Amino acid sequence: MLATIRSATLVGVWGHPVSVEVHVADGLPGFTVVGLPDASCREARDRVRAAIISSKLKWPPKRITVNLAPNDMPKSGAGLDLAVAVGVLAADEQVAPAALKNMGVLGQLGLDGSVRPVPGALPLVDAIGDAPVVVASRDSAVAELVARERVRPVNNLKEMFEALSGAAPWPEPPPAPAPRRVAPEPDLCDIAGQPLARWALEVAAAGGHHLLLVGPPGAGKTMLARRLVGLLPDLTPQESLEVTRVHSAAGLSLPDGLITRPPFRAPHHSSSMAALVGGGTHMARPGEVSAATSGVLFLDELGEFAPSVLDALRQPLEEGRIRVARSRGMIEHPARFLLVAAMNPCPCGAGGTVGCRCAPAALARYQRRLSGPFVDRLDLVVRVDRPDPADLLDARPSVSSAEVAERVAAARAEARKRGVARNADLQGSALEQHAPLSAEATRVLRSALDEGRLSARGLRRVQTVARTIRDLDDGGRELRAQDLLAALSLRMRLDSTGSMIHG
Amino acid sequence: MAEAQAAQRVPAPAPSHAVEASEAAARGVHAAALAALPRASSGRLAKLLNHRDPSEVWSQAVAGELPGWAVDPDLADLWRIHARDRDLDALAEQLAALDAWVTTPLSPDHPPALIDDIDPAPILFRRGRVPDDSAPAAAIVGTRRCTPTGRSVAMELGSDLAAAGVTVVSGLALGIDGAAHRGALAAAAAAVVGVVGSGLDRVYPRGNRDLWDEVAAAGTLLSEAPLGAEPEGWRFPARNRLLVALADVVVVVESKRAGGSMHTVEEAVRRGVVVMAVPGSVRNPAAQGTNLLLSEGCPPVCSSDDVLVALDLATAGTVGGSAGGTAGGAVGGEPAAAQTGDAGARSLDPLQKRLLRLLDDGPVSLDALVLRAASPVPEVLVAAEALERLGLLARDGALVLRA
Repeated sequence: MLATIRSATLVGVWGHPVSVEVHVADGLPGFTVVGLPDASCREARDRVRAAIISSKLKWPPKRITVNLAPNDMPKSGAGLDLAVAVGVLAADEQVAPAALKNMGVLGQLGLDGSVRPVPGALPLVDAIGDAPVVVASRDSAVAELVARERVRPVNNLKEMFEALSGAAPWPEPPPAPAPRRVAPEPDLCDIAGQPLARWALEVAAAGGHHLLLVGPPGAGKTMLARRLVGLLPDLTPQESLEVTRVHSAAGLSLPDGLITRPPFRAPHHSSSMAALVGGGTHMARPGEVSAATSGVLFLDELGEFAPSVLDALRQPLEEGRIRVARSRGMIEHPARFLLVAAMNPCPCGAGGTVGCRCAPAALARYQRRLSGPFVDRLDLVVRVDRPDPADLLDARPSVSSAEVAERVAAARAEARKRGVARNADLQGSALEQHAPLSAEATRVLRSALDEGRLSARGLRRVQTVARTIRDLDDGGRELRAQDLLAALSLRMRLDSTGSMIHG
Repeated sequence: MAEAQAAQRVPAPAPSHAVEASEAAARGVHAAALAALPRASSGRLAKLLNHRDPSEVWSQAVAGELPGWAVDPDLADLWRIHARDRDLDALAEQLAALDAWVTTPLSPDHPPALIDDIDPAPILFRRGRVPDDSAPAAAIVGTRRCTPTGRSVAMELGSDLAAAGVTVVSGLALGIDGAAHRGALAAAAAAVVGVVGSGLDRVYPRGNRDLWDEVAAAGTLLSEAPLGAEPEGWRFPARNRLLVALADVVVVVESKRAGGSMHTVEEAVRRGVVVMAVPGSVRNPAAQGTNLLLSEGCPPVCSSDDVLVALDLATAGTVGGSAGGTAGGAVGGEPAAAQTGDAGARSLDPLQKRLLRLLDDGPVSLDALVLRAASPVPEVLVAAEALERLGLLARDGALVLRA
């Protein structure tokens, strides 16, 4: 007797439908799983047998063959356990196959028959399509985000068996847990002084421009960077779904429901290439750059990251996605993050002040760690310093994040009218159309080019930043000389942010 | 063979015939070899070389027969082993390739100031011409990590003093030292003397190779260190004493409270050489040392005229002082101030003028400038950028200052 159960497996951040075909026939008792299962998937044999016996159901002493179709796609994880178990029961005619018709099944099994949640429940449920889906109770909240009333939460195999055989109704979904208190995002008003860096944050948030903060330790770079998220608008519904899917696939803890605020990811500088861009032995799991999609990727101590790791960020910085090849195939993950990086001006950290103890050679080596093409993609390079105590005392109260976020939202609305999510995405003819240069502005750009301050890429980037600056100002159509001057001064050359130039 | 080659490079002052020339060359090579012996301190070498021919000392070293009052028996033994293995031909070729001459107190071209010094230099490696000890000399020294203002003051002093016929002596280091030399070379007037801490074949800092060559071409490059000596930290204080011994006055342009320049000042005080200092802003950490010197009674240098007066090349009455930017030229921000005072001022908008006034206090960070100007960030950035383009404002690492 043959039974076919619908389920799904995770490839990258996307769920792919899988048909679990179970064949039970007379012959020498045995249990084989075919169809490119990975180790944890093949172990389903042992879990399923134990779970069925623990649930006081009958384990057929027959020859059982499980095929996971399509056969050429590698399956991973234990998320197919429940589907296999139900398939065995259906093929052994303990459950009427009709009851399982068009039903998706997702869940791991414990040896006691309990049904456990699966990583990446959101994309998996999404992949099953328009059908009722059986999931672990603890996955029901996530599953309901996409499957709504089609979700059938179960706690254990026995419950599912009884519901299928009509002996009991489907269990009610567990009551929604009390909403977890979300820690409020850090607010800009905690920071005194630092007008330049604050404004750079505002421009970065408004236009989606990548930002590098350079300054000595204790200047507040990390504090500033953490406040960028608070300036960003809520995620759009599509973004929200995508971010939740990626986080679900990456096995990160999810809030109760969709993620609606832009994520903030701050990988440590010792992070490996695989941790950052995504990886794994056979298939690539989403890495930090993908977890930060639609949000902020914060790289503290940029100079300490391995140069190869940083150069791997070039593709996502340019294209908003990352392609990772692994032995079993190539995966593309979204990686449309806003990069904020922080670094010291020199190894000793005092660069730019007279207390710097770094030898000129050490300084040059430190700055060489960042490749030119990488730095070229950072639109805003801003020097941050410890504020002068005298200025702190008579500084006016700081502007709050909410106030800045309003201006950011207005600027983003302008960008959407131009057909892009953020000004940083403006390219080619769209850029020329929406960010025309006044005659004087053209002169400013030309002289910057002549002085060698800008590359061709840098030129376009400066133009987009100037567009954002004008949007934040009065939203006029044409870019004035002052917009470009301001954009240029937010793009300091790295060597001029560091220690003094020796001559 | 090597000696014959070297003879062309290491001429005696007036070689009357070939024998004398080759003997002079041999003396140079032997002196160079002596300088490279282990633990060959300047004091020890001075005892040996003050009245004796380096070739004679060398043959004693090879034979292990050095006088016991100069070298103890253990060291004499060590020197004997080193001297025996020394390849003098290779050394001669090395000197010839560098076009370097080696002098000892007995050589007629050894600077007398370094023979009579309280801490004499018995062996000197030289590229370029013999320094003219009759010309007045001013040492211009300062921190390697100077501000752009300090650098331009050093350049100006260097070129003005050179134009007035003063030999500019400096250490060819980064920052103030190098700037003073570049200024003096630009004036293309009087000779310059550079005293370096490493061997003449070890250019340090490496980026200053062109400056080394220019100084050797237009004047004198001196070193006490044997060929191959790396720029180790202890060599620089020793270098500083030579710098001071060669100068009639020491001008400190910018210096931190502690550091190499302050060591140079100490050496100058030990020798009774006049020390002068350029005043700086109290907000400039690189001027803390110079301001300290001023508070301790050093004469201030507000223009090159002040140095000329100290050298007795001018009298206080005859020079225009620092106010009007006359012959010597005013040092510091005066030209910019003059420009903003009249012609420039009309084209500046009120914010730009306000920024310049705020910068009169000295360099500040851009953040502080924004806070003090109490204007929106983009406006201040644009005004600062415009001022920079007009050459009225400069950036220096974290700071902005008046150009």
